[in-house]
Amino acid sequence: MPATSSSASEPAGPGGLGGNRVVAGGIGAIVLILLGAAVLLFLNLPDANAFNARVERLFVENDALRSGAEIRLLEILAQSGTAFSEVLASYRMVIFVLLVFAAALLIAALVFLVTIVALNRRISAIQRSGIQVSSLMISREARAVYINDMEFALTEAAIETLSVLAEARMDDEVLTGAEIEGVITGRRAADCDEAAGAVRVKRLRDALGNQMVSELLVKTIARRGYVLAVGKDVIRVI
Amino acid sequence: MPLPRCLPLILPLLAALPAEAACYADWKAKQDQPLRLAYGVAELPDTACSGPDAAAAALAPRLSAAGWTLLNVVSLFGAEGLEPRRASAGDFFLRF
Repeated sequence: MPATSSSASEPAGPGGLGGNRVVAGGIGAIVLILLGAAVLLFLNLPDANAFNARVERLFVENDALRSGAEIRLLEILAQSGTAFSEVLASYRMVIFVLLVFAAALLIAALVFLVTIVALNRRISAIQRSGIQVSSLMISREARAVYINDMEFALTEAAIETLSVLAEARMDDEVLTGAEIEGVITGRRAADCDEAAGAVRVKRLRDALGNQMVSELLVKTIARRGYVLAVGKDVIRVI
Repeated sequence: MPLPRCLPLILPLLAALPAEAACYADWKAKQDQPLRLAYGVAELPDTACSGPDAAAAALAPRLSAAGWTLLNVVSLFGAEGLEPRRASAGDFFLRF
């Protein structure tokens, strides 16, 4: 789960790491607790000789128990107790197997819990950002952009604008309208009109359709310019 | 030798015979795995007749030599107590 979240929003990264620590600690705690429980169980289960010891005490404490028949009877009692001790051993095995199952289930539950927490975090991050671009692929030849594997056909000019913005994004730069115009036309930014670049951005947004969605994709930063609201590592230009 | 004169010599001899088996004890013992229990009667020397502890100390080695572990000494008694216990002790009547 951390692998898939690496591309997207920042909070998921550290969240994933913390989740791993929680999982490791939780599993350690579960195993420790159950090991302790197992040790306690094995130590506290009555051993095979408990019954024999009782019979022996009975024999010692009652002076009247001395005839041969009575003694045979006591011995038979002790033997049935010893037979029961074999049952105890099998109980011990059953209890141990159940403990192992319990450990496995608890570990699975913990892993799922952490997964759910991480997923919730991602979903809320997605809800906050409105659109989560997990891949943005610009294809100049096909004159198309693939956003989250959805294909959007663009005009030559819009592709040009998008490519410039993508390159700037990869360099962590914010471009003004004049700079965009300058890069596309090959002139110096100082010689270019800010409005010309703004028009290019507007056309790109229009070409991408839904204005709100494209507004989220091509973000305007007041008094600085335009930037793609996309993680740099998801952009591919082919 | 006239009889009255040798009497003092014979009397201690007669008295010494029962002194060798001054008392008797009935005991309880066990064997482990599988548990076996036993009740028996044993003859004790004079030195072991002072009490149950002394009797136990004298009896334990004799029983363990035969593979039995002494549990306790039930009582100490004289020769008159032998007959009532003969049936209960069975095989272990004066065996050790």
